[in-house]
Formats: sequence, C-alpha cells, structure tokens
Amino acid sequence: MMQQAQPSDAIVAPASLSASVVSKEFGAVVALNQVSLELRPGEIHGLIGPNGSGKTTLLNLLSGYYQPTSGAIQLRGEELAQASVRRRAQLGVARTFQKPRLLGTLSVLDNVVLGAWTHVEPGFLATALGLPQIARADRDLLDQATELLHGVGLSHAIERRANLLEHAEQRFLEIARGLAMRPGFILLDEPAGGLSNDEIDHLGGIIRTISDAGIGVLLVEHHTDFVFRVCDRVTTLDVGRMIRHGRPQDVRNDPEVIRVYLGA
Amino acid sequence: MNTKTRLLWIVPGAVAALSLPLWSNDQYQVHLAALICCYWVLIAGLNLVVGYTGQLSIGHVGLLSIGAYTFAILGGKWGWPAFASVAVAGALCGLCGLLLGLPSLRLPGFYFAMATMAFALIVGEFVLAQGGLTGGGVGLPVPGFPPPFDTPEGFYYLAVIAAVVASVLTWNVARQMYGRGLIAIRDNPVTAQAVGVPVFRAKLTTFVFSGVTAGIGGALFGSLQSYITPDTFHFELSLFFFVCIIIGGRGSILGPFLGVAVLTALPELVAPLAKLGNFFYGLLLLLVVLVVPEGIGRVFELIAQRLRPRSAVSVPVAPDLPRLARAIASIQALK
Amino acid sequence: MLMVIVSGLAIGALFAATALSYNVMYSTSKVLSVTTGHIAMLGGVFGAYAISALGQPWWLGLIAAIVVGGLFGWLTDLIAIRRVLARSDEHLWLLSTLALATMVQQAVGLWWGTEPKPFPRLITQDFSAGIADQKFWLPIGLAALMAIGLEFFYRRTMYGKLFLAMSEDAFAARARGVSTDRIRVASYVIAGSLGGLAGFAAGQLTFAYFALGLTLTLNGFIALAVGGLGSNVGALVGGLMLGLLNTFASYFFGGEYQQTIAVGLLMVVLLVKPEGLLGAQNVRPV
Repeated sequence: MMQQAQPSDAIVAPASLSASVVSKEFGAVVALNQVSLELRPGEIHGLIGPNGSGKTTLLNLLSGYYQPTSGAIQLRGEELAQASVRRRAQLGVARTFQKPRLLGTLSVLDNVVLGAWTHVEPGFLATALGLPQIARADRDLLDQATELLHGVGLSHAIERRANLLEHAEQRFLEIARGLAMRPGFILLDEPAGGLSNDEIDHLGGIIRTISDAGIGVLLVEHHTDFVFRVCDRVTTLDVGRMIRHGRPQDVRNDPEVIRVYLGA
Repeated sequence: MNTKTRLLWIVPGAVAALSLPLWSNDQYQVHLAALICCYWVLIAGLNLVVGYTGQLSIGHVGLLSIGAYTFAILGGKWGWPAFASVAVAGALCGLCGLLLGLPSLRLPGFYFAMATMAFALIVGEFVLAQGGLTGGGVGLPVPGFPPPFDTPEGFYYLAVIAAVVASVLTWNVARQMYGRGLIAIRDNPVTAQAVGVPVFRAKLTTFVFSGVTAGIGGALFGSLQSYITPDTFHFELSLFFFVCIIIGGRGSILGPFLGVAVLTALPELVAPLAKLGNFFYGLLLLLVVLVVPEGIGRVFELIAQRLRPRSAVSVPVAPDLPRLARAIASIQALK
Repeated sequence: MLMVIVSGLAIGALFAATALSYNVMYSTSKVLSVTTGHIAMLGGVFGAYAISALGQPWWLGLIAAIVVGGLFGWLTDLIAIRRVLARSDEHLWLLSTLALATMVQQAVGLWWGTEPKPFPRLITQDFSAGIADQKFWLPIGLAALMAIGLEFFYRRTMYGKLFLAMSEDAFAARARGVSTDRIRVASYVIAGSLGGLAGFAAGQLTFAYFALGLTLTLNGFIALAVGGLGSNVGALVGGLMLGLLNTFASYFFGGEYQQTIAVGLLMVVLLVKPEGLLGAQNVRPV
C-alpha cells in the first residue's frame, strides 16, 4: 500500500534539490517507479530501503549519472535532467561514492583540493605559463583544503599518499573533497559502510556540522539506527517505490516500513 | 620525491649539462646531449598525455616526422627564416594533434592506441608518396640555424633552451590544479567528472600541446640530423618515447627526463645493447609493467619509505567540528 | 580485374583470420592483444624456416606453424595477461602486450633477417597459375574453415559453450565452478594455433617477413572494428571488405596509400555505426 504524500510535503521549497515523480527503467527492469524526494538546504534527509530498492539509482539520478525515464529532477526550480555530472558539480551538487574513489598516487591534500576545480576552472595555457593568479589561487585552495582536513579529522594524514589510507580515512576524505566543491547539497552514498561505532559517531557530528552550515545532506544508508538518529526527514524505498516519508519517528514506526525490513 | 631531493638531482645535472661543451672534447657527446634535448622537447609534451592524462598514444613519431619535414621544406626548400619555420612546424603539428585527437580521444584505450599507430603509419605513407614535396625515399637536407646557433655547440645551447622551456611549461601544469585534474582523468575518470573537470576538453588540450612540442622537437631533431629520410622516422621511435615515459614513471616530470637521458645514452655506452636495439626497449617495458608499473622512480620512493621509520600505530580519525564549521563557512562565503 | 578481386579476398581472408583470433582471445579475457598480428607472422616465418631452411615436408611446416602459434598464444597469456589482469590498472595489458609484441618482432628480425623471404610452394603448382594460384586459395579456404570450425566449436561442443558462457559473464561462470583461468589459457592457445595456421596459409601472399606483425595487428583490428567486436561473421565481413578495398584502391590509385585507405574505411563505418557493422550495441570494448 503506497503512503500518500503529506500536505506539508506537497510544495517543494524553492531552493531545494528534488526528484519529482521520477521513474527509471533499464530495459524491462523498473528500478524506480514514480518516486519523489525533496532535499532542502540545511536539512539531513535519510534515504533507506533494502537492497535493490532503488536508493543508489535515485542517487545517481540526482547526481547526473542517469537520466530519468520520466519525471523531473530540479534544482532551485530549474530542470536538471539534461545537466551533465560536470554541470551539476558546477551548480553545487556534490556526492560521495559507495566504494571510495580516490586518486591513490596523490596526497590526501591533493585529493581534497581537486574538489575545488570548478571554482578555479584553470586554463591550460595560463597554468603552463606560470601566471601568478593561478599560483595564488592554488595556494588559497590548498589552505582551505587543509582546514577542511583538520575539520574532518585527518590532520595526521594530510601529506600521506591516498592509497595508504585506512577505510574510514578514505570515507572522510571523500566528504572533505565534496565540501571543497562548495556545494549547496552533498549526497552521501552509504558513508557509514565499514565504519566502527566511534567512527559512525564522528560521521554523525560531521554531517550535523555540514547541515548547520546550510548545506542539504542526502544520507543513503543501511544503518537504519544511525539514519533515524541524525536525520530530519527520512524517505523509505522498496522495490523502486516510495513507501513512507516524513519524520524519523513516524517512519520508523510505520507498519509498512517494519514489514519491509523484517520480512513478510 | 620532495623538492629537496629533486634539487639534489637537478642542480649538479644542470651545471654539468650547461657546461658540457666546455669539458667534453668529444663532438659526439655534444651531439648526443643535443639529441636528448630534442627528444625531451617532444617527450615533455607527450608526458602530459601519457603520464598524466593516461592516454596511451604510440604514434607521436608521426608528429616528429611532420615537424622535421615542415622545417626542412620551409627552411630548406623555400628559404624561410629558421625560427619562423620552427614556429610553423609547431603550429602545424598542433593542428594535426587537434585533427587526430578530436575523433580518437573519445575511443577506449586500445582503439585510441591503434588510431595513433595508424596515424604514424599514414604519415609515413604520405611522406613516401608525396615525393615532389618531401623527396620521397631519397629524403631532404635540413637547414641549420643562424648564428650563434650554427655550430654544434651553439645548436646544443639552442636545444637546451628549448628543453628547459618545455620542462618549465609542463612542470607548471603538473604541479598545479590542472595537473591534478589530468591525473584524475587518468586514474579515476568518474571522480574527475564528479568534481567538474572537463574531461574531453582537457584530453584534447594536452594532446594538441603535445603536438606543438612534437613539431618543435621534430624541427630541432631534423636540424640535428641535417638530412632526413622516411627511415629516420621508423615506428620504433614512437615506442621509444613511450617507453621513456612509462619507465621514468607516470605522474612525474623528472622521471621521464631521466628515462630519455638514460635510454638514449645506454646503447651508446653499452655496445651489445645497441645491437639488441628495440628488443631491449620492449624487454625493459615488459619488466617495468610486470614488476614496477609505476615506473622506476617509484622504486626509489619505496626504498625511501622502507628506510624512514614508520609508526605502527594507526591514528584514529578525530574531527574538529568547530574548525570544520569555520572552514565551511569561510568557503561558502566565497561563493 | 578478376585478379584484383581474388587477391583482395585472399589478403582479406588473412585480415579476417586475425580478427577471428582477436575475438577468441577477447571473448575470455576482455583483452585486445597487440600480439595478435604477430602470431600469424610467426606462423609464416616458422613455416618457411621448417620447409625452406630445414628442408622438411609441407605438413611438418604446417605443424610447426600451429605449434609455434599456439605456444606464442600461451606465452602471451602467461607473460602479458595473467599477472596483469589481477591488477586494478585497466590498461596495463595494453602496455604488456605491446612490449611482448615489440620483443617478438625484434627478436625475429634479428634471427630471421629484416628482408621478406619467399615462402615455399606447398602444393606443386606453376607460378603462372594466375587467379587459381594457391597463394590466394589457401588463405581464403583457411579463413572459411576457421569460421566454420569456430562456429561448430561454440555451438556444438561443451567446451565451446563454456567459452560463450565466460564471454557473456565471467563472474557468473566462475561462480558456477567454471575454471575461468584454464579456459582463458585455452582460448589463447587456440587463438595462437589458428593465427599460426593463418600465417602459414597466407605465407605465399605475404612472404615470411618480420615486420608483418604490427601491420597485421593494426589491419586485423580495423577488420574487427568494421565488422563489430565479438562477431565472428563480422570479422569475416570486415576482413574481406578491407582486403577488397585494399586491392581495388591499389589497382586504381596505386599502392601508396594503403594504410590511409584502411583507416578511412574504419572511420566511415564507425561514423555510421560505432559498434561495427555486425557488432552488438552494448559491447563495451576496453
């Protein structure tokens, strides 16, 4: 039984990143079926569901790796579906990946500062000629990236080669890189995967700090306890359909959600 | 390698190089050093394509050829001034890089490599076929440069200047944001896209640049040879350039330079190797790929790591949330 | 004119055989090996060596070509593929097969010489046989046999079906207990043997020439790309088209622009149908 959208959710806030009644089909497989989700600035929005429910598909639709078969993806009211991944990066949509994607041969600092690419858009010739403004911009961005790294707790690893990082460090590095993009929204793809309880607590603190700064956080996760703890709103998917969305306490007590997670 | 280690390598090397004609009585050594510089002008640009952007181009001998022949035809046959001819050679090869890169850079790895190889072979065909222009199988004489570059020592210094310029340009790109973007394209194109790097545009730009350096390197190379034939530009040269970069190490400027210096000089110093010729380069490439794919420079780094004391304790991640909040705020304020 | 057609079909058959070798190796390893052209070169060179230099009968030369080809295929897998596939860097195999190809080409050049040497007659025939000359019909016949043989192998034999399963989904195959490593090695040996045989059959056409390897790697690849990666019928079609285009262009315009024309064909086809004439749409070549 599909949960009807609550009246207070019907109006999409103007500054949001949203998916409106999107469907995504891969040939005969319907990965998403008329799902809507709205991510508001400064909110922490959880997206949960069993394996195969379409969480990652929805994330990929929002970040630009897939185009919806039908429905709209919008950012601040503007249609986004045709925008490339690169364009979305420029518009301030950052994401992390389920399996961390780092540049192993570069230092941790270099990995993070790469996130600021769109804010520099360096030209080849200007860089090759060694123009001072490029060097100045580089220095400033390196300083900012260093601050971000201190902030997420990687002070001890700033100069380390990225492929020498432990798993938790890799995850936090990706978040720092996402922040370096100066995003309006950051989409986290199962960031708690493989983290210890302490590390998950740290992750929660970081996420709250990010949302306090006005950045909208989408938290796709399997750790449902964690999701219910930190999120402002939660959306639950099952086999490509949205079955419940709303405040954490409402979602976690919803009989349909309980049935989906505990099995029929 | 950090800056201090680099300087330890570079400074004495630079001093030795610049003073070479003074302490070496052997004309041949000066010739060899000049050859290394000519190769390096091409390889420095190719390094950005292969070593940084990860595009495995094995056809640059074609661009070397176009550069050399353009210089020979404009400067020799048509009597243009030497430096103007070099400039046109560079520009023409940049254009060829654009024409070759536009369709091929979108192709996956093997297809792209084959396209560049085909390019090199096609250039060879054209050179042979257009005998009226290029002298066909007989070849062309290649002019020299005006004084003070008209002596072997003078030419050597010209080559050194070109090599230094190529080094500085590519080093600037490598160590700053653009270089990071290129490495992202090489190692993780999804990440590159995700942070907003214009992947195709960057690939094409570096490829065109590598064309320009190949053209200029080709002009200088041709002048050094003083006579060129189609056989001068055999396909194995392309492989040689490529091997210098892979062996020297991707993601480095110094590595490939040492690579070309050593691999050019080695057959001269070790006579049996000269006979093995390209077999040796193939073997070296295979060994590097199987044992140290990141290049020989990485071996030194690994050794240095072993020698440096490593802390066995792993430091837990400890966020500083107020600092994080300040950092985000200051960045957001810049938007 | 008939001569142009027949010689085009003959050289096209060699290209097609190379493209078929590509397919066999690609199906189990998802790797396009730079050494593919060199297999045929080895078949031709060793066949000529066995018959001309060592004075052996033609069928011994044939066996030599097959054995050397198969051995080289096995070597390619051992040296350039096996260790490399395990690593995460996607394009290491391009470098390793390129290195191995260079080594083998140079080694043969050093041993056999850099001049193309004539390949001996296999069946007694007059050199004035014209279009009925065996140097045309041997490769054509062989390519046809190869294609039919592979088809039979894939459709009718258990082992062949394992190949197909692995090419479709190696992960699933392994999960079902199929020894994917052994199949991959087998496919390289088979591709090597077939390539060696093709080089032997085409020897009178191409001469025993060390530099044949690289040009055949490229042209065989063009045939493959035109016909469509993964399709054996496409390999035949692509090869024959390329061969005919080659000889017709030589006939009308002179033989100076062979490579250019070949690439021109490739570009035209790829512009119209990027996956090749008979290629599957979702085949993603690496």
